[in-house]
Amino acid sequence: MTTDGTSGKVVRLGAGMAFWGDSVKPAADMVRTADIDYLCCDHLAELTMSILAKQKAKNPGFGYTRDVLSLLEGVLPVAIEKGTRIITNSGGANPDAAAERIAELAKDLGLTDVKIAVVTGDDVTSRIDDLMAQGVPFANMDNGRRLAEVRERLTHAAVYTGSEGIVEALQGGADIVVCGRVTDIALYLGPLIHEFGWAWDDWDRLGMATAVAHAAECGGQATGGLYAGGWQDVDGLEELGYPIVEVAEDGTGVITKTPGSGGRVDVGTVSEQMVYEVLDPHNYLTADVTADFSGVRLEDVGPDRVRISGVTGKPRPETLKVNMGYRAGFVGEITFTYTWPDVYAKAQRGLAFLKKRLERVGFEYSDELVEYLGHNSAWGNVIPEPDDPDRTELVVRYAARCADAENARKVFTESVPLYNNGPAGVAGVGTRPPLKELYGLWSSLIPRDHVQQSVRFITV
Amino acid sequence: MTTTSTTVRRVADIAHGRSGDKGDVCNVGIVAYDEGGYAELCAHLTAERVKEHFGDLVRGTVTRYEMPNIRALNFVCTGALDGGGTLSLRSDHLGKVMYAWLLRMELPAEVAS
Repeated sequence: MTTDGTSGKVVRLGAGMAFWGDSVKPAADMVRTADIDYLCCDHLAELTMSILAKQKAKNPGFGYTRDVLSLLEGVLPVAIEKGTRIITNSGGANPDAAAERIAELAKDLGLTDVKIAVVTGDDVTSRIDDLMAQGVPFANMDNGRRLAEVRERLTHAAVYTGSEGIVEALQGGADIVVCGRVTDIALYLGPLIHEFGWAWDDWDRLGMATAVAHAAECGGQATGGLYAGGWQDVDGLEELGYPIVEVAEDGTGVITKTPGSGGRVDVGTVSEQMVYEVLDPHNYLTADVTADFSGVRLEDVGPDRVRISGVTGKPRPETLKVNMGYRAGFVGEITFTYTWPDVYAKAQRGLAFLKKRLERVGFEYSDELVEYLGHNSAWGNVIPEPDDPDRTELVVRYAARCADAENARKVFTESVPLYNNGPAGVAGVGTRPPLKELYGLWSSLIPRDHVQQSVRFITV
Repeated sequence: MTTTSTTVRRVADIAHGRSGDKGDVCNVGIVAYDEGGYAELCAHLTAERVKEHFGDLVRGTVTRYEMPNIRALNFVCTGALDGGGTLSLRSDHLGKVMYAWLLRMELPAEVAS
């Protein structure tokens, strides 16, 4: 195999998952029909760790993303047979529990001699006070505020850790590597470092491979999903294939997708993904390398094949990013619809009704928001008021942040009388929505020598 | 205004894009369809104009970065997600459609031929 333009060894990595709850079928199809060496599965978004920490607090056997089990149920027998190794951060707040469940699943599937590695060390929740005593301030990296403001409300603290643990796990022969909060990039960089033996300070190769990983790690977003440059021209969105990257020894790669799957890989679709969730492209920070994406090049090299090159690297940051979650109250939320005529006047009267009733029951909130769905829910008040007198309907959404659940519940309770007592022409107040608890995200930095990954093996 | 017929031109006529979240920061990537479009983006989409176009949606700063080989400009907008994806009251709490508002921005008119 070669990656168009390069000869020599090529390592093929498939994107199995892009977020918690993502469809599992594309990964199963990929492992079956494409010859990939590794399946890399990202289950964690910024908010996910807070939810998982809450689940673990309720039940010590939980705290991982349970979708990994449905994923592996479909994928594992074929993967083991074909020698495709699986790397996942589905361990979330509880990688040990995830690995135990995966081991049970492997047994249930009748598999033997499966080696599972658990990579931990990212969770510093229980070490916060010790680390602060050792001089780590954990000041908010966006605004400099002191952790003391939210310390009592913290739910978890997880360090974005790098590739070392994954490399060690693969060198130890793991078939499945279960991690907690490693970077999305590490899920790809780990196997590449293991395969090519790149030095830990080979910044250009690590930076180049980081860009290739970045293109793949959001799954269907690189293969035609969300394609703003021509969504009408992307066929087979229902069977969208997930990305496969074929990486060469110099870190460059070709991105493609599962043969026969839906979607499209070309310079257009991949270029949108290259700018997705990138801040300063000259300094794309990861735990393993500071990549410089500013010179990235994309080239169509065949049907559904795009070559990615032109990226370099600089030394990795001396500090690692720590994301902490803290309880931040509850949202009280309601939507209701008014119909022609005079929809906007009715909506405003209905909102005044709601506000007055809330005031009477001593409603306390810190922030509130009114959106008109179908009119300005995406772009807020940069859109003019919906005052067209002939407009057929208007959906009002009112949301407020409250310190406690009791106040948040009042929003629905005080909305119900709109059905009988408010302005005419209302529809769709609906039933009581589930109360949504809010988690704030507190991002800060920690010197890397305070963080050590460790690897443990379980053999089924 | 002249009496010649003109058409409204928007960024969407020459570029596509994508946006996403990192805490309370939203990055908006805009990719030109061709080199001429990229030159026009570079000339017209200054950080100041983009900040003004987003109005109250972006309460912090806008910084522009260039990725010339893929004809892309990346706008990093701080204070752009009502406190961040996990706290925001907005329907679009992750900033997924912020890019489309920038694609709607009008460009200087060309006289229709």
